[in-house]
Amino acid sequence: MEVDIDEALRYLGVRGTAPAELRRETEAAAARLTSSLRPRYVYQVFPLEKNADGRHLAGTDVILAGSSADVMLAECGSAALLACTLGAQFDAMLLREQARDMSRAAILDACGSAYVEAGCDEAERELATRLPGRFLTDRFSPGYGDLPLDIQRAVGAALNMEKLLGLHVTKSLMLNPVKSVTAVIGIADTPQMARIRGCAYCALRETCPLRKGGTHCGI
Amino acid sequence: MEFEHLKDKITILDGAMGTVLQQRGLPAGGQPELLNLTAPELIEDVHRAYISSGSRVVYTNTFGASRLKLQRTGHEPAEIISAAVAAAKRAAAGTGAAVALDVGPLGALLEPLGSLSFEEAYGLFREMTEAGAEAGADLIVIETITDLYEAKAALLAAKESTDLPVFVTMSFEESGRTFTGCTAASMARTLEGLGADAIGLNCSLGPDKLAPLIKEICENTTLPVIAKPNAGLPDPLSGSYDIGPEDFAAAMLGCLDAGATILGGCCGTSPDYIRNLSAAMAGKRPAARHYRGGAFVCTPSVPLPLDGVRIIGERINPTGKKRFQQALLEDDLDYILDVAIQQEDAGADILDVNVGYPGVDEVSMLPRVVKKLQSAVMLPLQLDSSDPAALEAGLRVCNGKASVNSVNGDPEVLERILPIVKKYGASVVGLTLDKRGIPQTAGERTAIARRILDAALAHGLSRDEVWIDCLTLTVSAQQEQAAETLKAVSEVRRTLGLQTVLGVSNISFGLPNRALVTQSFLIQALYAGLTLPILNPNQKEMTDAVAAFRVLSGEDEACRAYVERFAGSAQKPSAAAPAEYTLEDAVIRGLRADAGRLAKAALETEDELSVVEKRLIPALDTVGGAYERGEAFLPQLLNAAQAAQAVFEVIRASLAEKGGAPVKKGRIVVATVQGDIHDIGKNIVKTVLENYGYELIDLGRDVPPEAIVQAAAERGARLVGLSALMTTTLPAMEKTVSLLRQLPDPPATMVGGAVVTPEYAEKIGADYYAKDARQGAEIARKVLGA
Repeated sequence: MEVDIDEALRYLGVRGTAPAELRRETEAAAARLTSSLRPRYVYQVFPLEKNADGRHLAGTDVILAGSSADVMLAECGSAALLACTLGAQFDAMLLREQARDMSRAAILDACGSAYVEAGCDEAERELATRLPGRFLTDRFSPGYGDLPLDIQRAVGAALNMEKLLGLHVTKSLMLNPVKSVTAVIGIADTPQMARIRGCAYCALRETCPLRKGGTHCGI
Repeated sequence: MEFEHLKDKITILDGAMGTVLQQRGLPAGGQPELLNLTAPELIEDVHRAYISSGSRVVYTNTFGASRLKLQRTGHEPAEIISAAVAAAKRAAAGTGAAVALDVGPLGALLEPLGSLSFEEAYGLFREMTEAGAEAGADLIVIETITDLYEAKAALLAAKESTDLPVFVTMSFEESGRTFTGCTAASMARTLEGLGADAIGLNCSLGPDKLAPLIKEICENTTLPVIAKPNAGLPDPLSGSYDIGPEDFAAAMLGCLDAGATILGGCCGTSPDYIRNLSAAMAGKRPAARHYRGGAFVCTPSVPLPLDGVRIIGERINPTGKKRFQQALLEDDLDYILDVAIQQEDAGADILDVNVGYPGVDEVSMLPRVVKKLQSAVMLPLQLDSSDPAALEAGLRVCNGKASVNSVNGDPEVLERILPIVKKYGASVVGLTLDKRGIPQTAGERTAIARRILDAALAHGLSRDEVWIDCLTLTVSAQQEQAAETLKAVSEVRRTLGLQTVLGVSNISFGLPNRALVTQSFLIQALYAGLTLPILNPNQKEMTDAVAAFRVLSGEDEACRAYVERFAGSAQKPSAAAPAEYTLEDAVIRGLRADAGRLAKAALETEDELSVVEKRLIPALDTVGGAYERGEAFLPQLLNAAQAAQAVFEVIRASLAEKGGAPVKKGRIVVATVQGDIHDIGKNIVKTVLENYGYELIDLGRDVPPEAIVQAAAERGARLVGLSALMTTTLPAMEKTVSLLRQLPDPPATMVGGAVVTPEYAEKIGADYYAKDARQGAEIARKVLGA
């Protein structure tokens, strides 16, 4: 699994071509990262049941309420929950780097963001191969669109994230270790449109420096 | 059931509770502990099923019964725990089976990775273990832990609040490490040192994958070893585990062969698995084990067997170092961390930590420094103090197996310090002196070493945990003593077989070309049997000598480390700046070493203030401008800031030497607000502001509003910077700003972070919105002046 260097550079605010030295440093940080650890993930498929509160993942406490989930899951009879993390070892690595060199730490942080996305991509590919003949929606996370962030705890419990990944949901609904993603992927019998990717659905759209600069981060 | 001789017989534990409850209808993610109150007969029934399947120990249904995990249920830990223990005792009555209070992880990461403090974790665990003992549990099992620090908090809580036996099992990945990077060797040595009664593994893997890890644990402990694995791995589509009861039992024979004697099942197992396990183990005998022994210190991720020369770094010590003294008095822990990092990067294996200085409260400072160091340095620590209270406070929060510097032959000192060393499983350095002073002959010093060893053994330490320092005296003052010290080292090593410590730098005090004398002494001492030299690893002569010694002694197999050290350095391209570079160029290009060097040169002709104002700040502004125009990016801005930091370090040292006041332009408090744990953004702002010469008071992350207000008021900060990453933590930012505004003379506030907008900043009454670190510096300039 690799870090997408261009994606990491975008997280660092680079628009257009990065200075050669910055690209080299980013490549070096990515190499250090990929040789030290791998993203770990779990996912599990649950039947979707519609009830008054929204869509319910059977056998769990997860309710996918709101219009984003309605649109995404309109044609889905089941959905997978996915959690992916770089783990506490990344946090430890970042703490060590911050104490030594903030510049390199910022680069490592950006590589970590790209790496955890790469982990999600791999998990998604793996899921797809396990479900031949079925079709996946884009993955979307608690907090995107109007999908409530507060389902985070139920997602964590349904996936047994603490035991299987060492991944915790804090009181303020943050994921800890910090380079972690949870997501929902709808599963349907017909091909699914790519919908979610784009600034319109992003919670950071108001302040995002990339967007202000007329570009976007690619997710 | 009795808890003696657990190594010499096979003991069968139970299987999963949660999995069985789910099979009986509990939803995934439901809180099983509540069933102790609502369906105690169901819980009792599960225990009964395990006991009739052969379990001799059943774990109570209290895995998640900590206050942290129960907080949304409205129930108290004690209430749940007493019901759970009662249910297990009813099931066990008359069967001879023991009831173990099950203590699982707290469900939040501990510091430094999370924001739960060690002390809070201890309190949460203690509440559980007290309730369990009160309810009549026969033993305590701490299980499924992945952070050695959390295991330590739980084990200390259990040992300090009850007299019950305590078992500890942790969860490992196939890589041989836990999620937090802890190794099996570090886990085994640390937990045995802290007084666990049995240790081992549970959860995470199937029994087929566990045997190599069990073997490694057995090599590192004399305690009985536990294996309680999962029924393989869960299938992502069906959720069921992939190893059946018969295969599970067969695979557990591998764990028995590897040395485990206390056996059970974790997630995915059921009474059926335990029945098969009991049958498979009938008539089997424990396997022979091979304890590797030997002296050892560690942190979770760095196990360090002392089987060769190990360098103890001496630089964390205020003696004779003005800049270090100043850092201690100003509570500048970042500086102390920097000193540690330099030594780690220069090749130290262990760091000596001494923070004793007049005006410094060592009892509160030592544990704070230990925590700070362990946030970013992986090396094992040696706590250096004569104050037993400071040592205890430091050892308590130190993660891993540490050492203590020092005791000596004085019986009073031995009685004072050794019980603390034993309690926390540390090793100890014994100085060969006593009330009468330092003996002049090697024979007398060896005699003191023997007395120290005997006292340590009587306190329950092993020989491997006693390290002897035969004491270096200054050769220019007592010339004959150099040979005597070497002779003593050799005797202690030969006759007692102990690790030997020696602070070598002292030898050359008062002489010109000190490094040569120190290096020569070091080499002779290593030859005489010195294993743990205390030295300055930043002095290349010393680490070079050790590298060469490791080649000659055979420790450095095939000379690999030596070749890497020297062949590598020859190829390194020179990163030095061209000679015509100015201080400004070095800062702009982020060349830290050159910036420091050029600052030293500049101070020969200019004063400190003028270097900062006329040269440093304009250079930083040049980079800041390029950053704003999108011509430079964040890493470059930070590189320049760090080069500026090197300049400031030179200026601080220069002022400390002259006894002058530090250049500080105004105080800024920065914090990531309560509930928010991701603080790299705040740290970036801190790095940039600090290097404009402002004094930064960094309160860290997840900081309650009241703590921010208190710090701002007490420290007289005129600007407070707040960062928030998540929409869920914005209310904490709003509350903090509003409390700050109620101060009699409120400081200016600036806010920023991923979800903060200018409109939001205005709405909550913040004075400024800062979109990035560069803008933060502009705001500071406006508020505090340039």
